[in-house]
Amino acid sequence: MKLFGIDVGGTFTDVILSDTESGITEIHKVPTSLEDPSDGVVRGILELCERYNINKSEIDHVFHGTTIATNAILEYDGAKTGMLTTKGYRDIIHIGRHQRPENYSIMQEIPWQDRPLVQRRNRLAVTERMGPAKDEIITPLDEGEVRKAVATLKENKVESIIVNFLFSYINPGHEERVKEIIEEEYPEAFVTTSSGVSPQFREFERFTTASINGFVGPKVKYYINNLEKRLKDTGISAELHIMLSNGGVATPKTVSEKPINTLLSGPAAGVLGGAWAGGLSDRKKLITFDVGGTSADIAIITNDGYTESSARDTSIAGYPVMVPMIDIHTIGAGGGSIAHIDKGGAFKVGPRSAGSRPGPACYGHGGQKPTVSDANIVLGRIDENNFLGGEMKIYPNAGYKVIDELAEELNLSREKTAEGVLQIMNNNMANAIREKTIQKGEDPREFSLVAFGGAGPLHAVEVAQILNIPEVLVPKYPGINSATGLLTTDLKYDVIKTAFLMSTNLKFDKLNEDFSTLEEKLIAQLKEDGISDELIQIHRSADCRYAGQGYELRVDLSSGVLNNEKLQKTFDEFHENHKNEYGHHFEERPIEIVNIRVTGIGVMPKIEKQANEPAYSLEDALVKTGESIFNLDGELQNVPTKFYKRDKIPVGVEFKGPAIVLQKDTTTVIPPNCTAHIEKYGNMIIKVGV
Amino acid sequence: MTNTNTDVIKADPITVQVILGALENVAIEMGHKLARMSYSSIIRESEDFGCALVDINGQQLCESSHSTPLQSGPIPGYVKGIREIMEERGDTFFPGDIIMHNSPYHGASHGPDVGFCVPVFHEDSLIGFSVTTAHHLDIGASTPGSCGIVDAVDAYAEGLQFKAIKVYEKGVKNKYIWDMLRDNIRAADMVVGDMEAQIAAAKIGSNRYVEIVEKYGLETIQAATDELMRYSETMMRNAIKQLPDGEYVAEGYLDGYLDSDDSTHKDIKIVVTVKVQDSDITVDLTGSSPQIPDKPINMPLIGTVDIAIYLTLRSILLDSTEYGNFPQNSGLVRPISIISPEGAICNPIFPAPTIARFCSGNIIADTLMKALGQVVPHQISAGVGNLQVVAFSGKKGNDYWVYMDIMEGSYGGRSGKDGMDTVDTLYANTRNNPIEDIESHYPLRVNRYELRDNEAAAGKWRGGIGSIREISFLSDASVSVEGDGHKFKPWGFDGGNEGSVGSLTIRDGKNKEGHKLPSKLPNRPTKTGDSLQLVGPCGGGYGNPLERDPEQVLSDVLDGYINKEKAFDDYGVIITDLNMVDHVKTNNQRVLMAK
Repeated sequence: MKLFGIDVGGTFTDVILSDTESGITEIHKVPTSLEDPSDGVVRGILELCERYNINKSEIDHVFHGTTIATNAILEYDGAKTGMLTTKGYRDIIHIGRHQRPENYSIMQEIPWQDRPLVQRRNRLAVTERMGPAKDEIITPLDEGEVRKAVATLKENKVESIIVNFLFSYINPGHEERVKEIIEEEYPEAFVTTSSGVSPQFREFERFTTASINGFVGPKVKYYINNLEKRLKDTGISAELHIMLSNGGVATPKTVSEKPINTLLSGPAAGVLGGAWAGGLSDRKKLITFDVGGTSADIAIITNDGYTESSARDTSIAGYPVMVPMIDIHTIGAGGGSIAHIDKGGAFKVGPRSAGSRPGPACYGHGGQKPTVSDANIVLGRIDENNFLGGEMKIYPNAGYKVIDELAEELNLSREKTAEGVLQIMNNNMANAIREKTIQKGEDPREFSLVAFGGAGPLHAVEVAQILNIPEVLVPKYPGINSATGLLTTDLKYDVIKTAFLMSTNLKFDKLNEDFSTLEEKLIAQLKEDGISDELIQIHRSADCRYAGQGYELRVDLSSGVLNNEKLQKTFDEFHENHKNEYGHHFEERPIEIVNIRVTGIGVMPKIEKQANEPAYSLEDALVKTGESIFNLDGELQNVPTKFYKRDKIPVGVEFKGPAIVLQKDTTTVIPPNCTAHIEKYGNMIIKVGV
Repeated sequence: MTNTNTDVIKADPITVQVILGALENVAIEMGHKLARMSYSSIIRESEDFGCALVDINGQQLCESSHSTPLQSGPIPGYVKGIREIMEERGDTFFPGDIIMHNSPYHGASHGPDVGFCVPVFHEDSLIGFSVTTAHHLDIGASTPGSCGIVDAVDAYAEGLQFKAIKVYEKGVKNKYIWDMLRDNIRAADMVVGDMEAQIAAAKIGSNRYVEIVEKYGLETIQAATDELMRYSETMMRNAIKQLPDGEYVAEGYLDGYLDSDDSTHKDIKIVVTVKVQDSDITVDLTGSSPQIPDKPINMPLIGTVDIAIYLTLRSILLDSTEYGNFPQNSGLVRPISIISPEGAICNPIFPAPTIARFCSGNIIADTLMKALGQVVPHQISAGVGNLQVVAFSGKKGNDYWVYMDIMEGSYGGRSGKDGMDTVDTLYANTRNNPIEDIESHYPLRVNRYELRDNEAAAGKWRGGIGSIREISFLSDASVSVEGDGHKFKPWGFDGGNEGSVGSLTIRDGKNKEGHKLPSKLPNRPTKTGDSLQLVGPCGGGYGNPLERDPEQVLSDVLDGYINKEKAFDDYGVIITDLNMVDHVKTNNQRVLMAK
């Protein structure tokens, strides 16, 4: 089978092809077409086909990572929206949790008030009210009012209507009925119900989640439909799959209904790419470390796979989002991060970035601020003749100049300043990793750090040193890791239902019935997507907490008919998880099952691994021996450093740091006291010395 | 990077940042874990808690940023109070001790904010303290709940007083203290569960602090933290230097007890004189009302008054939208002196009661902002609306259920920006409780929660809008309220209109229409079907309403914040039947109104 992965980034659209029969993998990059990203997507596929003589009609699957939803919300450029909500509660999305985002600010902005997802004029209240008990209707729905309100919204020319009713996570009946009415009265509108997108309690967060879906919905739907059509028109009849934030893919149809699930489409694919690379070297516990020009994305993979973030902790552009996402921690630290002295005289790096334009001073596009890349130039870690495979010119003097200016302010030497920039940045990144490992009871010494993105491999080893992570793994193609990840995933759907069951009073009939209902729904969906029975997998889990707590932890549940014994196992696991997560557990307290969850997987074909040919010797790979500066026992020293070309380093031959490994899409720094080698399937493994 | 002990390295700017990051990381972890492990909604949903590390000299090193300033800010005061009491008693700290403290006359903010303090040891010597504070639902006062205890006559009537009590001694739990707590506190399971969570979080802080000290060496940590204090101090001094030297005075008023026959119980005056001299600032509260010996709205000087002042100065002079997030530590407050005569409402003498001091402190913050408006008009907001805190409670078998609801206020308009609508204000920054959480756990129903209609105070930049919240009882219960802002309207600034006051109304079997209650309501029994309506105040307007962009006025009309009549009356803006601004008529009208 021929599989294409296409990831659209801010600068480049990355394309990867894997032929599962021949085991051949090819890669390609085209500039991202910002106006209409589908231009770049189609062009990327066609160019790769042409270059490697592939018949485009033979492509079986196209997997795609998109930033349409992400950009719509970050740039506050979405649909004209309207909302129908319970009478008496028109302003839930405006009041929020009545907390100011900043403790110490009079002039702050409040995202949900300054940039409303639905303007108040289009938030219409209708008579209805559900209660907290199952099937508890306090006030019946006034359908006449609903029809009138829909007519008003139609007149106001909203493109998208969101239905947000209280307690719909238990009693979705009214929301569903309103959806039917909208479809009768105004079939052109894009309709979202809060129970359909995220049936979980906490009305502000659920209503906001649904509103984001409605806000980004029409744009994403148009983009996907258009892309599907263009691919067909171009003669590519492959099935299109869109990457979701939860680490799975979905069909264009389901994505068009819940586009909110694509908010982390690209970064999620990156995590999967990191996991796949780790698997090629039989590594199970991984920290993925994706560093670009402006930010670093960090995720944790354990024996149980990647971790999903708690619904309470996810947000985008300041709005809360309650949908399943891989737990990706993003901080403002990258190659373009600007080093500066702030108003109190402290030496800071980031979160502001010079971006790609003007970019770091050493890019020669007029950047005047010292950045992390400029510091790397000073320390001799970026080779001016081999940056991006020699395709991009570097201006070291411009880099020296801006670092010198900073050094003068700090009253430090040029080299000490540059090394300080990296130390501060590396420690910021290490703190972010610490939050996701040590603070959650995971020991970084048991993990490998998988470094990718343009700047990940430049910093990975020094970050690993701070946290005592024993090895760093750099995939074969670190610059197109997200595209690779797209070819390693499955169709994946999550369903969730609020249960509120106490461990002291379990109702097994109800629990078993709820699970069966959810599972039937998922299996039907996967079959509709063309997945055959033997390729369908179902996983159960539950969100639990000690009765009375407000935050839940996820635990697995076994399949089949549930009974006391099986649940006891689950509760034991909960105590254990609670101890790992918080350092404490309360064995005598009853446990509440808040939500039950089922994940349905439709297994998809995946990228084949490709063995590296051991054609060269280390001498072939050596470009030069230069001088780089490293911090040895607290002293900065200029040390002779070997520069190698990655694609000529032979498999299985160990080489020592200090060394710099050059390749087209990134540079890897191997400090003194570390050793490295390339493995059979292309990974570079660096053993981290102290 | 590990312990390089030369003087140069110790305080170099790189190490300072690395250690700052590590310390902040600890505070984040403590806060995160406390919020998630705790039981009562006041901690887990409203985030009314604080976490901080304090060094051996009593200086705060870091605080958890996800909690309310009124909890983290007082922590150095808790530690100071604990040390003083222990010294008086001839008592000392041992590894494994855990100390409980809530005395408002020894640094605590008020009785319900119980602190748990873990002394941190490294190589057998005491190096600092890891502390968590949190608001507890009940501490055994005369009536259920820990807010709305507005008729406590002295400190003894406010509930249990803990003065540096070792609840664990050398690692051994003092069982009898815990038994006594359970015997004297309502909803004890929940309260004790929260206390256990606080202890767990404080212990984590202690362990992490030791890890950092082991990694970098105590001397390096001290040098770096001295530098961080100096840094925050410099930030504050530089900001104060920009203000012209001089004295700036403002007055503000508290409702007090509007239904009281005693005139000293109401219309309580707060006078703030800000004295700026070079890089020092003195906030003098002389002239404010004397303490009220038998009503608990007096404010401890340490733990309430100081925090209100520090927070306000920082938010205005070093606004984080302009200055970013820099460390909140003891260095920041070095340039600030506070003066208040003893026996005043801002510096009461024991045993004057203080439990309901919350709203009083917010008036200090608001009045201080008013004084600063004379010097930094582009960095302040017009008058801010105060909060109302409600305790609901009832019987559940042999025990009680207790639920605390915090009703928000709103901010005044700002230079270039409208006021923030429906938010917690000034030195408080808690969160409301989801309706879906309240109704799932308590016999209450929230019947309405939305913005007030047609109340936004006019201004070039309009005041923030308060909300209306109606809660009805599904079983017999009781309620008490501590609030303020029913009588004195938030002030307008530079030609902006005054805001509007909040209110509290009860509807019951006797009075279906409802009748207004004062802002301080002692425990009052309620019946099934009764309901309570809380109305949050609207902040003042900023600048001349006639200068507001007519299109912005139209937008407010379309959004239903104000109606067309108000657009005409307040702004002179004429909106046509087709919902367009009639610019010609508007200009004429504005000329007329300006005369």
